Amino acid sequence: MTNAVQVLILGLLLGGVYALMAAGLTLAFGVMRIVNLAHAVVIVGSAYAAYFAFQNLGVDPLVSAALLMPVMYLVGVAIYTTLFRRIEGSARYVEMTVLLTFAVAIVVEGLLAFFFTGIFRTTDPTYATDAFFVGDWFIPKGQLYASGVSVALLLGLWGFLRYTRIGYGVRATMQNRSAAQIVGVNVRRTSSIAFGISTALAGASGALVSYLFPFFPARHWQWVALLLALIVLGGMGSLKGAVVGAIVLAVASSFVVDQAGPIWGPMTFYLALFLILLVRPQGLFGKEVTI
Amino acid sequence: MIEDRSLTSGTPSDQSPEALQQTSRSRWVALVALLLLLLVVPLARSIIGPFNYVLQLLTVTLMWVAMTSSWNIIGGYASYISLGHGVFMGVGGYVSGLMLVHYGYSPFATAALGGLAAVAVGALGGLITLRTRGPAFIISTIALLLMFLLWFDNWDLLGGSNGLALPLPPFSPEWLRAPFYYGMLVVAVGAVWLSYRVAHSKFGLGLRAIAQDETKAEVAGVPTRSYKIAAFALSAFFVGAAGAIWGYSLSYLRPTVFFIIGVSAQMVLMAIIGGRGTVSGPVVGTVLIIAINEITLTQFGSSELNLVIAGVLLLGVLLFFPLGLVGTLRERGNLPAFLDWD
Repeated sequence: MTNAVQVLILGLLLGGVYALMAAGLTLAFGVMRIVNLAHAVVIVGSAYAAYFAFQNLGVDPLVSAALLMPVMYLVGVAIYTTLFRRIEGSARYVEMTVLLTFAVAIVVEGLLAFFFTGIFRTTDPTYATDAFFVGDWFIPKGQLYASGVSVALLLGLWGFLRYTRIGYGVRATMQNRSAAQIVGVNVRRTSSIAFGISTALAGASGALVSYLFPFFPARHWQWVALLLALIVLGGMGSLKGAVVGAIVLAVASSFVVDQAGPIWGPMTFYLALFLILLVRPQGLFGKEVTI
Repeated sequence: MIEDRSLTSGTPSDQSPEALQQTSRSRWVALVALLLLLLVVPLARSIIGPFNYVLQLLTVTLMWVAMTSSWNIIGGYASYISLGHGVFMGVGGYVSGLMLVHYGYSPFATAALGGLAAVAVGALGGLITLRTRGPAFIISTIALLLMFLLWFDNWDLLGGSNGLALPLPPFSPEWLRAPFYYGMLVVAVGAVWLSYRVAHSKFGLGLRAIAQDETKAEVAGVPTRSYKIAAFALSAFFVGAAGAIWGYSLSYLRPTVFFIIGVSAQMVLMAIIGGRGTVSGPVVGTVLIIAINEITLTQFGSSELNLVIAGVLLLGVLLFFPLGLVGTLRERGNLPAFLDWD
């Protein structure tokens, strides 16, 4: 029993971070129908930034997370303007977004591998290996802080979407792009803001994962597959779905890892993806979308 | 032969019958000459001495021709982009490799079996992944690939991530590369032939209809689901066969040779740069990319930069020539006859 609670605690903490990693991905799909295969490579790139900031300047990764957000916001807006605006009217728009982001992903991966080689790295602030003890259970400090930051950012995102004027626009665009345009939402501007936010969230989560997981340039494929699996589970484009999917799958994979070994953690995600495709292709919270 | 061209690039055929016959003849002459040339290349060894490097390069080119042409059946004709075709290459490689290790059958004899195993995996995988359309399909093919990587990396019977050593091929060292070259040549010709046959069948027409508008295709009576699964499975065959021969030529099978996204990335890149949905596009794209890879490798000596160049090229082609080289030239009406294989 003690052990099960311990596994649950670790799974929930992990789920918080996955939710943040996936939130940007699902936002980009929900608002702009962009399937962003480059989302995780941005996370890895940001992890490198946090790593070098810590190694060379002693900047705490949690501080890096805050610093990376505005920078990555601008990167996101730049990517949106140079790539996606060109293909807005394309007949095969969604497919184009996949191929374009695929190309971006391999360019960034190649650059990261060229400059930083393929060796594994992790940022090691003192709290990364420390823990709080509550009775029989331990709560790793690093994961607790990372989940705390994730929850704060997700709440911030929720508040922004719920209570600001731009947030209304984003939600309206998610529901129905052309109707939003008719009622006066500047869909282009909204899209570029949403993509900027999506990339900023990737930047913040990159700083967090820099001390949670060892990373190397090609690691992003595994992450993007995990993230896509959990947003498919939750229903693509649904923020609530991404958060629930992240927590469900992180807890499930924690139990699988506990029983079967660390190798089978990612397998949980892939099998869940296939299972959901068989049973409910639109995901838990998704609507049947025709693309 | 000409009617369905309008489906791929929208160019109406305005050539006279005589001119068409003329193009058709010059195309056949060019293709037969190319094939004869490829058949005699290894014999040049007795004249100019050893040239394993060139032969190896040609073998690699033929392998990618085979795999990209096969990928084109699902990714080009049906426009269902698969990033999981590395799975089929690996299944072919491991099936033939195991037949060699355990029963002593040469992979040249069992390559077809490796291909059939890949077809079986494709049919089963397709049953699940093809329940989805568009982006969800692409995502599920990535998951399929990573699942196989994880599985093979931890399957002790197959050597896990350490790999599986194969007995060395019994060929004399000076002719070591030639059998692999001829094996790949057969696979590549087979794959291009299959691609051509699919393009000119009712099945191919159905796949193109699916690519245009799946709902309308279904309403018009195309059995979309079974066509898609058939296309996915069929596109696995020569990828598996190529994997069998490639694995033997490496004489060492490791999951990271096959089950990586880079393998699938190459197929996507080569097909798109050459021109998806055309017969010659994947071949042209393969030759182009292999040439560029060779140049960057010798100039910069770095495979990481290859990835960067490949990505930049893909971006440029997608944004400015989405039909690829062959598709764009055809649309403008100046595709040379010897490259028009449709």
